[in-house]
Amino acid sequence: MTNYPKAKLEDYGYKDYSLLNKIYKIVSWIIVGIVVIMLYLSIIMIALQSFNTSSDITSFESFTLKWYTEIFSHRQLRTSIINTFVVSIVATTLATILGTLIAVGIHSLEPKKRNRIMLLNNIPLLNADIVTGISLMLIFSLLLPLFPYLFGPTTLIIAHLFFTLPYVIISVLPKLKEIDPFIMEAALDLGVKPFKALRKIIIPAIEAGIFSGMLLAFTMSLDDFVISYYTTGNGFDNLSIWVYGSIGRRSLTPAVYAYSTLLTIVTLGLVLTKNFISKKRGLKHEAK
Amino acid sequence: MSKTFNKLSRPYLIWLIVLALLPVGVMFGLAFVKTEGVSFDTFYFSLESFELITEKSTITAFINSLFYALVTTVLCAVIGYFVAYRLFKSNLNNKLLILTVLILPMWSNLLLRTEALGNIMEHNNILTDILSNIGINFSIGIKGSPLAVIIGMVFTYLPFMILPIYTALEKIPYALEEAALDLGLTNIRKFWKVIFPLSLKGLTSGSIMVFLPTLSGFAIPQILGKGNIVLIGNIIEESFRNMNYNFGSLIAIIILVFILGSLLIINKMDKEGETLI
Repeated sequence: MTNYPKAKLEDYGYKDYSLLNKIYKIVSWIIVGIVVIMLYLSIIMIALQSFNTSSDITSFESFTLKWYTEIFSHRQLRTSIINTFVVSIVATTLATILGTLIAVGIHSLEPKKRNRIMLLNNIPLLNADIVTGISLMLIFSLLLPLFPYLFGPTTLIIAHLFFTLPYVIISVLPKLKEIDPFIMEAALDLGVKPFKALRKIIIPAIEAGIFSGMLLAFTMSLDDFVISYYTTGNGFDNLSIWVYGSIGRRSLTPAVYAYSTLLTIVTLGLVLTKNFISKKRGLKHEAK
Repeated sequence: MSKTFNKLSRPYLIWLIVLALLPVGVMFGLAFVKTEGVSFDTFYFSLESFELITEKSTITAFINSLFYALVTTVLCAVIGYFVAYRLFKSNLNNKLLILTVLILPMWSNLLLRTEALGNIMEHNNILTDILSNIGINFSIGIKGSPLAVIIGMVFTYLPFMILPIYTALEKIPYALEEAALDLGLTNIRKFWKVIFPLSLKGLTSGSIMVFLPTLSGFAIPQILGKGNIVLIGNIIEESFRNMNYNFGSLIAIIILVFILGSLLIINKMDKEGETLI
C-alpha cells in the first residue's frame, strides 16, 4: 500500500488569516486608543494645569487644590458659571419638553408636510454657528425699538432653545417610528383621552430617545460660544464669553481649569455608575 | 398616528420661519445697502460690500477656509470611519456609553480646550516640564502653523464624524453580513460590497457636520494659528465687530450657499436626519 501524502487545508486553497486578523485587531485597538487619548489630550492638559501651584502654564511647580476653592470665591467666574448653568438648564428643559411634543406632532403629519418641516428643522443643525448667531442677533435687533432691554438672559435662552430643539427632535423621531401604531389606537378605543395616552403610552416608549436628545441638547448648550457671543447683552456673560475675554486680556485664572476638571470628573463618574448599575441589573434580569 | 397631535408642530413651523428664514432675508437686504449697524434709519443703496469681497485678503481667506475645511473633513472621515467601524465590530454595543465618552470633552469649554491644546503645541508647557523631570525631553513647537490648526480642528470635530457613522453602521442587520459570507464573499469584499454602501448615509452626514463648522469657525484658527491664518469666519467676526454689518452679511450669505447645498444633500440622503447625531 502506497502512502499517499495527506492533503493539508492549504492545498485546498485555504489561507490562514487568523494571525493577520489578530494583528489587525490589536493594531486597530491601539489606533482607537490613540484617537481617544487625542480627544482627551486637552482635557488632561486642563486637569494638569488645575493642580499646578503656579498660574504660569509653562512649568509645573507643585500639587495644589487651591484653585478648586477659588471656583467659589472668584466673583466673575462664579457668576459666569451660574449664568451658563441657568441658561443651559432652562434651555434644555424647554427644548426637551417642547421638542418631544413637536416630534410627536411632526410624526403625525402626512409625509409631504413632514419633509418640509424636517428640511427647515435641519437648518439650525447644519447652519454655521456664526451665521446662526448673526441671524438671531439681527432678528433681536429689529425687536429692539419695541423692547429696549431685550439683549441679555432672554435672548440667550431663546437662542439656545433655537439650536437645541432640533437635536431633541431628531433623537425622538426614530423612536416614535418604532412604536406600534395600533397601541395608540387601542388606547383611544378604550376611552383614554389623547393627551393622557401620550403621557402613559408614547412617552415611556420613547424615553431613551428623549434622554439622548436631552444629553445632546445640554452638551451643545454648555459648549456653545459663537451663538452666545452674538446674542447676549452687555453684562450677562456666560462662561465661554468670559473665557474669551480673559484670553484676550491674558488674565485667565487656573480656577477655570479646576471647574472644567471637576465637571468632567463628576460627569464621567455619573455615567460610569449608571452604566455599572444597568449592567448589574441586566445580569440579575438574565439570572431570573 | 392619530390626527390629534397634528397641530403640535404648527407653532414650531412659525418659529423656524421667523428665526431661521426671516434673517436670511434681512441679511440679503443688508448686503445691498450701507447702514449704521443694523438700524435702517439712514441707509442708502451701495455695492461697497461687493467691492470689499473682491479684495485679495478676502479671496485668500475664502481659499484658505475651503482648503482647511476639506483637509479636516477628509482626515476626520478616514479616522472617524476607522474608529466607528472598530466600535461597531466590538462587543461594546452600549451606544449611550460610546456617545458619552465621545461628547464628554465637549463639556469643557471649547475655548479652554483649544487654549490647552495650544499650550501643548508650544515648546515649553506643563507636559514637557513633567516629562523632563522623569528624563524625557520632548517638545513640539508647532503653534501658529497650519498643522496646528488642522490638528486642532480634526480632534475637535472628530466626534461629529464618528457618531453618525456609528449610527448608520448600527442599523445594518447582522443577517445581511451572514448572507454575504454564506454567498462566498471574503471579509474585505463583504465590507466594500455590503457594509460600506449602507453606511454612506452616515459618512455623508458626518462629513457635512465636520465640513460646515470648520469652514466658518473662527476661534480655533485664531487661537492655534496665532493670527497667522485668517479664515472666512475671522473676517465675518471682524466686520461685525467693526459694525460693518453689510459686508458681514454678504459673506454670511455666501456661507449660506454652502449650507443650502448641504441641506439638499441631507434631504436627499437622509430625509429624517436620523444620522445627524
